[in-house]
Amino acid sequence: MSLEVREFIKPFVSVSEDLYYFSKQAKKNGEMVAGFMCTYSPQELFHAAGYFPVRIIGKDGGTPLADQWLQPYACSFAKSVLNMGLSGDYPFLDLMVFSHTCDTMQNLADVWRRRVNGPPVIIVSTPNLSAGDLSLTYLKRELTRVKEEVEKISGNKIADDKLLNSINLYNKHRDNMKLLYDMRRKSPTLITGTEMFAIVLSSFVMKKEEHNKLLEELIQQLEKMAPENIAKPKILVGGSVCQAQGFIQTIESSGALVCDDDLCMGSRAYVIPSVPEGDPIEMLAQMYLLRIPCPAIHKPGYDPAGPYIDKIKAGNIDGVIFLQTKFCDPYGFNYPYLRKRLEQEGIPSLLLEVEQNQPVAESFHTRVEAFIETLSAK
Amino acid sequence: MSKRVPIRATAQMKQLMGFYYMMAKTAENDPEQKIAWITSGGPVEILHAAGVIPIYPENVAAMSGTMKIADEICAVAEDNGFSRDLCSYARTDIGSVLSGKGPLMGTPSPKPDFLVCCNNICGTVTKWYEELQRIYNVPLIYIDAPFQYGIKDRPEAIDYIESQLKQMIEQVGEITGKPIAWDKFIETLELSDRAVKLWREIQDLLQHKPAPMNSFDTFIHLAPIVTLRGTQGCIEYYETLKAEMLERIEQGIGTLEHEEYRLGWDNLAIWYKIKFLADRFSQHNAALVVSTYTRNFCYQTEDRDISKPLRAMAGDYMAGYINHGLDFREKELYQMVQNFSLDGLVMHSNRSCRAYSFGQYELAQTMEEKYGVPVLIIEADQNDTRMWSDEQVGNRIDAFMERVAAKKK
Repeated sequence: MSLEVREFIKPFVSVSEDLYYFSKQAKKNGEMVAGFMCTYSPQELFHAAGYFPVRIIGKDGGTPLADQWLQPYACSFAKSVLNMGLSGDYPFLDLMVFSHTCDTMQNLADVWRRRVNGPPVIIVSTPNLSAGDLSLTYLKRELTRVKEEVEKISGNKIADDKLLNSINLYNKHRDNMKLLYDMRRKSPTLITGTEMFAIVLSSFVMKKEEHNKLLEELIQQLEKMAPENIAKPKILVGGSVCQAQGFIQTIESSGALVCDDDLCMGSRAYVIPSVPEGDPIEMLAQMYLLRIPCPAIHKPGYDPAGPYIDKIKAGNIDGVIFLQTKFCDPYGFNYPYLRKRLEQEGIPSLLLEVEQNQPVAESFHTRVEAFIETLSAK
Repeated sequence: MSKRVPIRATAQMKQLMGFYYMMAKTAENDPEQKIAWITSGGPVEILHAAGVIPIYPENVAAMSGTMKIADEICAVAEDNGFSRDLCSYARTDIGSVLSGKGPLMGTPSPKPDFLVCCNNICGTVTKWYEELQRIYNVPLIYIDAPFQYGIKDRPEAIDYIESQLKQMIEQVGEITGKPIAWDKFIETLELSDRAVKLWREIQDLLQHKPAPMNSFDTFIHLAPIVTLRGTQGCIEYYETLKAEMLERIEQGIGTLEHEEYRLGWDNLAIWYKIKFLADRFSQHNAALVVSTYTRNFCYQTEDRDISKPLRAMAGDYMAGYINHGLDFREKELYQMVQNFSLDGLVMHSNRSCRAYSFGQYELAQTMEEKYGVPVLIIEADQNDTRMWSDEQVGNRIDAFMERVAAKKK
């Protein structure tokens, strides 16, 4: 890869050194910061109320404070962020937003609300049925309620045109990220999976205005580049959260390219489609129901293997690695079916159980290497 | 050890449940008779009104647990890729379907013509029923009952459930090919309402000292309210049980020779250790007299208006203990402590059930610090025996009872 392109990737990569640098800066400048747990929180609404929405991400390390409140069979992501919340590691937050997805997030929200000494908490009651008019009616009423709550807490009225602007900004951002993903499907050597993952992480903690600008500059550069031919196995990684870059790095340092993903801290964050302009609350409700659902949410007729097979075909993927976060039920229940469907498609897959708050284990490395060897031998 | 006077009605319940499962197994070979699998918190009245036989995979899984065949069946699901960390009811049920083994004369539940899943008990059922739908390729009716984080249920959520129930009535009519008659539906709702009220009254009778039965008994007597509410048989059974409880109260019959301490239970039963637990607590003269688990099946909204049946039903299906956040759970637990004169609480931290269990540590601390109620947390699983140790749990119970006794002095 040319040095020139690397210059355009640097600003994204450097974000990983201090994920909340921009949040702290914003706070210093007197701006309001809202933390959100997952992309079912309507960030557009908080942005329109004057907040800088940042995704809550955990970190490596033990969770002694969270262990006091959550059982040993709680997922490491929930524990990691709760531990940070209890330790005061998100001091820049003016608001904390949860959205109803899985059972763990549900009870984490409640424990957080009662035990973390921090800013006000808003819990968005996302319908767990994503279908038709009944879900739409409910979500519209819920978003209206949330809007009023945000207005009360922030003291800022959310005018329709402001909310429309925020929706457009976020749509633009999702379009840019989708474009970048598409470019990698066609030319996977343009940037590495490790770099792509740094771009994804930075997208959660940088201002969308700024991130859009950097993305557009990068895309312009990449468009000028000719695709290279590197004979490495192409991998898609699937799973829920993925807060550690080590997993992707290890897969790539073992001789493969991570070209695509089905991660909620990955491509799934950008699957919210745009809809024709109208009443902005109605638009938001439609967008969040039209998206590819989180595995915790039931969408009649939706096939969870669909996105895998589409991406495998679009990117000529050689193998799938599941980064299954231990105790993540929604993904755990999907796995046997996904494995079966991949087998039917002739795509090898590897299941690796991971903890989000621990460095990459030696066994992870060994198993990845063995898997990649079998792919290379094909 | 204290001597227990057996409950006569148990035989009648076994007969009632046996008859029901025999009818269901027979129906499997009758193409005219529709069978639906439904979650324990699902709106079963609609099925009864439509003449559909409901099957409760949770109940069947618990039977496997009680019969101690769940481990073996779970292993089949695990061999097929379902992690051991997933809910053991789901693993028992899926393993039963995959292996053809089950508690009903060695066989699994009769095959479904359609599925009904309501998420008012957990999000796990969503994934479990999606898998069942993939296995059987039959319609899945999904009822979304939004989890309530506050103490007061939100009207927009009740509206949402009401609209889904209305839709379900039409869907079930389409599946059976016969629209549900409104008067039949109302009749079923009334039967269900009576059964629910009876079940609540029976449990409230345990406020009496000594309690006429133990919570471990209520786990067993829970089966009809889960599987048969909305039928006449369910009412008749609970009327019998209630009469027997009143008789026991009158005669001063308790579950222990000397009931010294009264405890509450939180979370599902540990099906394979009911006897062990009952014996261990009775060694300390401690009776378990109330549980959030069995009460979950008799919550109704306070401002219930039966002249608007669908709305009342929507409110009820949202009202359960498990469908509420910690503020509500704290309020309920403390009310139980007061109403049932509890000396302590036993919380089963149930590895299978994140929805029920996460938050227990918080509640335990709140109950201890804010209300001065001793709490014992038992780490276990509802069906999977592989982590259990009699000795460890026994020792913890002994230590806890010392604490309870010291406090009461």
